[in-house]
Amino acid sequence: MSGASPTTSDAPILEVSDLTTQFHTRAGVVKAVDGVSFSLHKGEIIGLVGESGSGKSVTGFSLIGLVDPPGRVVSGSVKLDGQELVGLSPAALRKVRGARIAMVFQDPMMTLNPVLTIGQQMQLALNAHEKLSKSAARARSTDALTRVGIPDAEARLDAYPHQFSGGMRQRVAIAIALLHGTRVIVADEPTTALDVSIQAQILSEMRELAREMGTALVWISHDLSTVSALADRILVMYAGRIVEEGPTAQVLRAPRHPYTAGLLRSLPAMAEPGTDLEQIPGTTPSLLNLPQGCPFRPRCDRATDLCSEAPPMTPETGRGYRCHHPLLDGTPA
Amino acid sequence: MSSFLLKRLLQGVVIMAAMSVIVFAGVYAIGNPLDVLIPPEATQDVRERTIARFGLDKSLVEQYFLFISNLLKGDLGLSYIYNEPVLSLIGNRLPATLELVLTAVLGATLIGVPLGIYAGYKPHGFAARAIMAISILGFSVPTFWVGLILILTFAVSLGWLPSGGRGETVEFLGIEWSVLTLNGWSHLVLPAINLALFKLAIMVRLARAGTREVMLSDTVKFARAAGLSEMTILSRHVLKLISIPIVTVFGLELASTLAFAVVTETIFSWPGVGKLIIDSIKNLDRPVMVAYLILTAGLFVTINLCVDIAYALLDPRLRRGRAE
Ligand SMILES: Nc1ncnc2c1ncn2[C@@H]1O[C@H](COP(=O)(O)OP(=O)(O)O)[C@@H](O)[C@H]1O
Ligand code: SF4
Ligand SMILES: [Mg+2]
Repeated sequence: MSGASPTTSDAPILEVSDLTTQFHTRAGVVKAVDGVSFSLHKGEIIGLVGESGSGKSVTGFSLIGLVDPPGRVVSGSVKLDGQELVGLSPAALRKVRGARIAMVFQDPMMTLNPVLTIGQQMQLALNAHEKLSKSAARARSTDALTRVGIPDAEARLDAYPHQFSGGMRQRVAIAIALLHGTRVIVADEPTTALDVSIQAQILSEMRELAREMGTALVWISHDLSTVSALADRILVMYAGRIVEEGPTAQVLRAPRHPYTAGLLRSLPAMAEPGTDLEQIPGTTPSLLNLPQGCPFRPRCDRATDLCSEAPPMTPETGRGYRCHHPLLDGTPA
Repeated sequence: MSSFLLKRLLQGVVIMAAMSVIVFAGVYAIGNPLDVLIPPEATQDVRERTIARFGLDKSLVEQYFLFISNLLKGDLGLSYIYNEPVLSLIGNRLPATLELVLTAVLGATLIGVPLGIYAGYKPHGFAARAIMAISILGFSVPTFWVGLILILTFAVSLGWLPSGGRGETVEFLGIEWSVLTLNGWSHLVLPAINLALFKLAIMVRLARAGTREVMLSDTVKFARAAGLSEMTILSRHVLKLISIPIVTVFGLELASTLAFAVVTETIFSWPGVGKLIIDSIKNLDRPVMVAYLILTAGLFVTINLCVDIAYALLDPRLRRGRAE
């Protein structure tokens, strides 16, 4: 499962195995993340895709140890540069967050504080991990803003979030995440709230930045086309599990899992010209009471009796999928 | 910013003009001041001279414009009862009210806001529940009753604190203050607590509600993701985000308490303006009533203006920003 991407080196910077996060609610146990495993190498970009409600955000929060109660990482392991993060004390986790692994969110209008200047917010983020003088903090912040493509960065430090456009605001959030030379960034739908043209701009800039700085990215999106433009590898998530993974080109060209194939058929750019876009029938199941066996079964046209047994992950070289009846090369998708 | 201020200032002037008409007409409609001013056995001559001296022979409209032109000169007339300029009458009692009210409202804010933030931060803890129980008490128990209980407990039973008066005062800037002496504080503390309890309850609720909301926001999530400590998040992000409703209520409470501290001043025989206005209503002392009501309106307008300025300082979105 490793070594597939040309830019990766051997030891993964982030190694996630069998991560399981549950919400214990009055209605029952929500298995939001159910045994997720993957590894991320220096400078690599992983795209985590799936319909809304499939557990992508909870996966992201589990990685940085910020799952909202009543949620909890119940088992599994998250190793950052060899250090185990699951089970770390809140104080120790705080030292890791922002310094070695950071996260950016969907809407920077909601994440940046509207009543503090960009400079003040960057200084708070800097001081969380380093004692810096005000002028040193300004210099570092200016550098970070310049790096993400904000013109006239020094002057913009004194501006407030509402004085930036949506795309610029998200660049600011990314600059904050990069302040400490952070090596892993989890980006949860960071361009979903933006115009398509600005999305494309930010995607290509992020790609370049990751190459340049060796920062590894976990890019979360419900939109397969966004991710396919950016990621080296794709993880497809369904009902809290990774159902397919592999290098982007392979997954797009030859999906193994019927769910991935369905996602692809619903993309305008992927459809055969002249044919109708197909939607996957049915909706994402509630993670509260999943059906026995393969969770995709009620929506799957390839399902058989065998599918009432949960399919295991089938590893191929650099590929993996969870399906009893995969679409193998030559099978019509 | 300056055009915004100018607009607010103009609004204030209009409100004050309207208030002066309403107050003047309203007070004029109450009773006949001649019964107070002129003893029944007075001669016709004395009657007429007194009526002329106070301008009561003129029409209501003439009296109003006379009042306004005097007001603009800083002359609010003579009290019917004390035969003293109204302004100095009120001015002499204002510092007592001012120090009592400021102590109460500031104290309520400085204690209530941190308690509320804590209760909003850990809403399910025992301490938070205790804080909220006390705040419900502060809301529901009448002020006069709390005042009496305070006097009975600390002045009568325990004898720790005096039950009334201002105690020793010290002159500062030509005005007598109790807050500058220890003895003055011993007199101030009970009435201030009495006045503060309700405001404390409000501040706790406001800060708690605001904190609960902000703690769930993406702003806090993002700050946590950047590794900020919980203390920094509360003191730098949350406090600033919840400050606007707190400043609003602070201003309103300050104004309304300055105007209506009557109950507490009466219970603790605190020689402030509250007692003066009650007496003036009883005695139909029109100039004092009118001046008091106009000054109160002016106070509200001024404090609202200050609150608006504070908004603009606290929330950059209300200032005119350079748009991108
Ligand atoms: N605070 C919570 N309480 C209970 N369940 C939650 C909570 N947050 C998320 N979940 C559950 O976790 C599932 C996955 O959510 P999420 O990770 O946000 O999905 P995605 O990001 O893929 O759209 C949701 O279906 C929801 O049921
Ligand atoms: S295991 Fe069966 S139900 Fe699940 S995706 Fe494969 S074919 Fe469909
Ligand atoms: Mg999400």
